This record gives sequence, structure tokens and C-alpha cells, in this order.
Amino acid sequence: MFYREAGQFKTSYEADQSLFPIRQDRIGIAVLLLIAFVLIPLTANDFFLTSIMIPFLVFSLAAIGLNVLTGFAGQLSLGSGAFMGVGAYAAYKLTSIFPDVNVIFLVLVSGFFSAAIGAVFGLPSLRIKGLYLAVTTLAAQFFLEWCFIRIPWLYNYNASGAIEIPKRDMFGITVSGAEATPLARYFVVLAITVVIALLVANVLRGRIGRSWMMIRDMDIAAELMGIRPLQTKLLAFGVSSYICGVAGAMMVFFWLNAAEPSSYSITLSFQILFMVILGGLGSLGGSFMGAAFIWILPVFLKFIPGTLGIDIPAETVEHLTFMIVGALIIFFLIVEPHGFARLWQIGKQKLRVWPFPY
Amino acid sequence: MNAIMTSEEMPQVAAPTAEREDLLRVDNVSLSFGGVKAITDISFDIKKGEIRAIIGPNGAGKTSMLNVINGFYHPQVGTITWQGQVRRKMKPYEAASQGIARTFQNVALFRGMTTLDNIMSGRSLKMRKNFFWQMMWYGPAREEEIEHRKKVEEIIDFLEIQAIRKTPVGRLPYGLQKRVELGRALAMEPDLLLLDEPMAGMNLEEKADMSRFILDVNQEFGTTIALIEHDMGVVMDLSDRVVVLDYGKKIADGPPEEVQASQAVIDAYLGVSH
Repeated sequence: MFYREAGQFKTSYEADQSLFPIRQDRIGIAVLLLIAFVLIPLTANDFFLTSIMIPFLVFSLAAIGLNVLTGFAGQLSLGSGAFMGVGAYAAYKLTSIFPDVNVIFLVLVSGFFSAAIGAVFGLPSLRIKGLYLAVTTLAAQFFLEWCFIRIPWLYNYNASGAIEIPKRDMFGITVSGAEATPLARYFVVLAITVVIALLVANVLRGRIGRSWMMIRDMDIAAELMGIRPLQTKLLAFGVSSYICGVAGAMMVFFWLNAAEPSSYSITLSFQILFMVILGGLGSLGGSFMGAAFIWILPVFLKFIPGTLGIDIPAETVEHLTFMIVGALIIFFLIVEPHGFARLWQIGKQKLRVWPFPY
Repeated sequence: MNAIMTSEEMPQVAAPTAEREDLLRVDNVSLSFGGVKAITDISFDIKKGEIRAIIGPNGAGKTSMLNVINGFYHPQVGTITWQGQVRRKMKPYEAASQGIARTFQNVALFRGMTTLDNIMSGRSLKMRKNFFWQMMWYGPAREEEIEHRKKVEEIIDFLEIQAIRKTPVGRLPYGLQKRVELGRALAMEPDLLLLDEPMAGMNLEEKADMSRFILDVNQEFGTTIALIEHDMGVVMDLSDRVVVLDYGKKIADGPPEEVQASQAVIDAYLGVSH
């Protein structure tokens, strides 16, 4: 009803190829950004920022990273958790070696370490496809986790075996370490996530994004159109691991403050993969929706009994949350196997033709 | 005309195409997979600007021949000469960068992408802007994108598929998918266009449309076309010269009317009692 592009004519290819060609979409994204940058910082309390918004943004970015590889380039990966870990450990080492360098810069640089390692583990993708490739990325997951435990240099020979993030200032504001305010952390995470999401969206709508989708949809035909399979796949692995690495570094620097090797275990890989599948393979918006569903919904569910005044033990609430979220995942995958992104599209299509069915 | 034409004594026809320059020459090519001989000692040429048909019964080695030209298969014996130069062993993407485009027997479109993106993908080789500019979008990357979009829109106009520009190709009917696939190959602006059964599974009207497009591509853009097709009426009407394969061997080569009259071809298609 309100969502109709009738009458919005494009007179140039520039306009037709913009990210949000429909005016309602542009308004919608502007409102979302306004909420994220103005409304939430003004109104939200520390709990909301630390437990909901910051992890949500970190996971969204990680899901975007995996989506580039699995959703757009069609290479199934179970190593995203480990690649996040590489980013975290690299950023930690970098800030130990160069304590005076801006920590955001180091977080962004740490992604390159992750990208390099991701590209190495992407080499088998030339020969191996689908589930078999997933198994080789599983090897990356276990090998890197082993490195995080067995190479004490990575965690500065810390007795606990964990990395603890030191206090770092930027322009006089503490952004990492235990003293950093949630608001400062939130702005850093939000800015990095939004900027990377925008850059990825640009790459995806151009030649390189198309070459990834060509490889995904029909690799033989892609090769015939002049796409070099190895370079294209390795680039996808590199870009995906870079984004995952930055997300991993943000996870420990701006959210957890400390991390153990088990923080970047296979569980995290699966969590990210579920976000991508549930949100929608091959959709950036879907990555955000998937992350919101997997992360925010359980947090809310945990508070329902308390606010309703029902007295249930904490463990039972935990178990109930697991069961409800699990059931919802199954429900949504049956209703729409292509994820929330497709549901959203169907909804928009319905609005477009409303009040008629088609 | 009752002489049986073998590959040794193939008729040199005095068609206008005969004097033209060779675009591609295949000399004594043999290809086998283990003990299976797909192609045995085949030689033929494709002249610049002609429409060359490759026909033969099922399993004759036609698609294998296209795969050899494409660089998918590497023949054990024989040479391929492309624009006067003997070609070394190469990958399909190298063949693409030399100007060989191809459509497939079973439609091989990028199903998750729109018609527009599919045809744009044909321009991949001609787009150069690097990762950094792609990330920035505004500036060189967008200029390049729009420059190629204009070319792609010309192809969309030519093939009369404006209405399905933004439709994901997986949702299109088969006839239109074939047309989009032709458009994608045309977007590469190839010197040689290989069409593997462009009319398979089409109705009469769609065949007429496709024939018209193939002739127009040949005449307006001057593209050399090699096509595999089972519809003899179409083959005989469209092509300048026809090469006939059977069991991996060449049994006839020449203008359509000669090939039609050849006893070897009739035997191959209708069978003979031994």
C-alpha cells in the first residue's frame, strides 16, 4: 500500500543501479540509520548496548563475511569461527607490539592476517566442492583452534591462556579494555559494521560480485565467460575471512574484553552459519536479520518469565529458550527455506500489489 | 550427386565463403577418454563471417568438438589454428579472452541472477577496474559499469527482452532462457560464437525467432557462427557450410545441398543394412 514504486521512473543508468532504487527503501534505510546512530545512543541503557546491540552488530558483520563466501560465491565454509579467532589474536598481538597505534586501525589491519590464512585454506576449493569443501574448512577450524591453545606467544604467555584486552584510548576516549563505556564501544562497532557493509554492498553489485555469483550458479559457464576460477574463489575466501577477522577482533576488543580459544570454537562457526542460512543466503540484509534472530531473540525470551512474574528457575528458562528458538528455526526453515530475506521480499511484493492478491 | 564423400576427398565448393580467410582450422584432431574414442582424425575449417553447422546423429562427437575448440578438452593428437596461429594447450578462460563465446545444449545460465546481470556477466573480461574502485563504487567503477550497461541494453533491445530485464532467469520460460543465453554470449562481442543446439526443445515460432536472431547476428555484427543443430530444415536454411560427423569421424563437409545428397550422410541418419 505504502510500498509502491509506481511513478518512480529512472531516467539514467546511475539511478537504476543505485543500492536502493526505490524511494521507500531509501527512506527506510535512513530511518534505520537514524535509530542506530541517534535514537539508541540517546535512550538505551548499558545493558541494552552491551548485551544486545554490540553482540548483534558483531555477529551481523561475521554473518556478512560468511555470506560473501557461502551465499554469494557458493563455497560452504565451517571455519568462520577460527577466522574470527585469527583476527582477534592478530589484533591482540598488534596492540601488544604497537601500544600507541590507534586500536581501530589495528583491528582493521588484523583482518588482513585472517584474509591471508583464509585464502590458504581456500586453496582446496579449486578441486573440492560443497560438503567436501566444508570438511576441509573444518580442518582449518580445528588446526587454528589448536594454534590458539598451543602457541603461547599468541596470548603473550598469559598464565590463564586467555587474551585480555588492555585499555586503549582514541582521541581521549577509552574505547577498549574494561573501563571503556558501552556507548563508546557501541559507536565504534556500529561505525565499522556500517562502513564494511556498505563497501561489501558496492563490491557485490559490480564486476567482482557478479564473478562470485557466476562461480556459484554455474562454474563451467563462468569459466567460459573468462572468469578464472582459482583467483575468484581465493578472492572470495580472502574477503570473507577479512570481514570475519575484523568481526572477531571487534568481538574481543569491544564486547568481551577477554577471550579464550574456546570462544572461537566450532560452536561459533555453526552459530554464524545458522545466521546466514536463516537470514538468507546471498543477502546482506538477511545477514542482519539472521544475526538478530539468533542473538536477540534468546535474550528477550529469557526476560519474559521475569517480567510476567512467573517464578521459574534460571536453568529451566535457559532450556526453554533453547527449545523455543530451536522450534522457531525449524518452523521458519519449513515456511521459507530461503530465509528471512526471501520472506521480506515476498512481503514487499504483497504490499506492492495490495489490495489484490497478485 | 551420388559419390560418397569421405574426409579424404571432400568437395571444394566454389561458394563465396571458400575464398575467405580461415578463422579457425582443426587439423587431424583426435580425442579419446580412456578406451572411448570421441573424435577420430577430424579436420575442418571455419571461415571468417560464415555460419558453419556441425551435424550428426547422437553421440557423433559434436559437443566434444565444441569442447575442444573451447579448451575444455585437450585433444591427444592434432592441432588447432586460431586466426593463423597454432594454439597451445589452453584453459577455457583463455579461449574466452581470445574471443570464443559459447552457449550450451542444456541452458547454463546463472540462475540466481537477473537477465540484466547475466548479460552483464558477459562483459566481465572487458571490465578492468580493480577491487578498490569496486569498493568505492562512485567514480571509475560506476563509469565503467554504465558504459557496459549501455552495450548490454543494446543487446537487450536487439533480442527484444526488455520486459524481463530485472527478472531472475530461473523464473523465465525455456525459450526466453535460450535467448538470454544467446545475449550473454553476444555481450562478449566474440569473433567466434559456438551455439550448441540453440533450438532444442523450442516450438516453431521460437525456432523462427531464434533463426532470425542468428542470421542477424551473423549479418549485422559479422560474427562467425558455428552451430550444432538437429533440426535439418533450420540447418540447411541457415548455414553456409555443413560438416557431418558420425561415430567421431567426419563423413561429409560442404554446402547444405551437397551434404543433403551425400549417400554417407543418408546412411548415417537412416542406417544401412550390412
